[in-house]
Amino acid sequence: MNFLKKVTLQVLPKAEAHLSLGNNSAIHTSSVCCRVQSGRYRITVKRDRPLTYEMANPPHFIGHRKSWNSWNTSTLKDALRPSQTAIEDVFIRKFITGTWHALVCSEIIIKRQHNTIRIAAIIRQAIAQRKMYFLIGYTEELLSYWMQCPVTLEFQTVADKKDVVFKYI
Amino acid sequence: MTTNLVRLLECNIRNSKATVAQRTMRVFSSQQEQSSVEDDEEFRVLNLRTIKQQARRRVIKKDAVPPPRTTHMPVDQDWSAVWSGPRSFHPASVPLPLRQGYTERGAAAPSKYANAELMKIPNFLHLTPPAIRQQCEAIKKFCTPWPKGLESEATWKAIFPVEVITTDYCHSLPTIRHPEARRVTITLNLVDLKFDAHAKDKFLRLVGERYNQETGVLTFTADRCPTRKQNYDYALYLLTACYHESFVTEPWEASKSEADMEVYLFERNKAKLSAEAILNWNVNGEKQAPSATYAESVEKLINEGENEYNIAKYKEEVLKMLKIAN
Repeated sequence: MNFLKKVTLQVLPKAEAHLSLGNNSAIHTSSVCCRVQSGRYRITVKRDRPLTYEMANPPHFIGHRKSWNSWNTSTLKDALRPSQTAIEDVFIRKFITGTWHALVCSEIIIKRQHNTIRIAAIIRQAIAQRKMYFLIGYTEELLSYWMQCPVTLEFQTVADKKDVVFKYI
Repeated sequence: MTTNLVRLLECNIRNSKATVAQRTMRVFSSQQEQSSVEDDEEFRVLNLRTIKQQARRRVIKKDAVPPPRTTHMPVDQDWSAVWSGPRSFHPASVPLPLRQGYTERGAAAPSKYANAELMKIPNFLHLTPPAIRQQCEAIKKFCTPWPKGLESEATWKAIFPVEVITTDYCHSLPTIRHPEARRVTITLNLVDLKFDAHAKDKFLRLVGERYNQETGVLTFTADRCPTRKQNYDYALYLLTACYHESFVTEPWEASKSEADMEVYLFERNKAKLSAEAILNWNVNGEKQAPSATYAESVEKLINEGENEYNIAKYKEEVLKMLKIAN
């Protein structure tokens, strides 16, 4: 205990000096960097940016005004392979937006039940039905090969891109 | 060739009258339009540079999109045939005026067409009451009647005292396996097992923490083997082995001295000898043993400690044994 007393006696004056210095320059002048921007859209000058319902509601409304785009049990507590599921979902989204190029009007909804994956989206009626049927089969086949489980596409089609627009900002 | 001609034409225009120029132009540049242009009222356009006419955009023939299926649906259709299994919502197949979504200022919620929110939420359109009834009817032939004599919980608990608890996990993964599914728990009441005093003591020492003293329930949990079957077998083996081992008396168990005893037993102690000595004072014939209630009161007094009730009970028993009127 004696040596502790010595240490405190030596250290304390220095610490006090530091503290007093810190008190002198207490105003924080750098810019605020805690701005939250993801999933939020800026208002344009002409108010002509089209937003879907999903885009119109920022992320903190998930579960209140809008629901999740990925439905699976991996996000539950102590569930298995959460990271793999998330990576697979990202891959599925990228693959579908690329395969159905400029046709996907909404977010891609991925629902997993047991070992099946059901993918839903809203597609524009810009290509012929035959091509659409081909793409459905192609996507299902390739995805089920990569994911090693049955994949079903459940698409809804709209005649025009503007059908999914919820509001303009 | 054409460029030369154009140049030649340009010279003509500059040098001669406009009519001549027109005529020559007509000859060289726009021969195919000649007849139609003749009686046109408007001025014709002089296409000197013979700009290549833009190819007309090919009009893509689009097949007419049929109206939604809901418009042709009869009222008395078989809905389970329309929506047979779990499926994302599709507005053209569901003849309901659904709306979903949050809107401000009292505007109507977005309709079912092109509504991604309706596609997100899981629906139970495949589990309508008629569909469930239909499926139950279909699987009824695989069911067997409930066994007779097992109507109430008390009866089947008496016949099957061992309860086996396992958990199945349904999850959304490519694999159906879950590591926790191998865990097997076996519970039974201790009163369902038959013991003598030594065996019961030894059994409780063997099972240790697995016995709950408050409820009297014995619980064996096995999760060390990779499959459920193996764990179940292991748990049953544990129960059987513990039960039979408890009836074995090892030679070293006889060497247990009074200092090793965990509870006070009247039978093994000086209190019994003293009580017998008092009871059999100057008795030559049949020896008298202290009563069981006296033994119990002494054991309680020492095992549970001296409290008001135990001391009163002990006093009562002593008075009774010594035949002293209270």
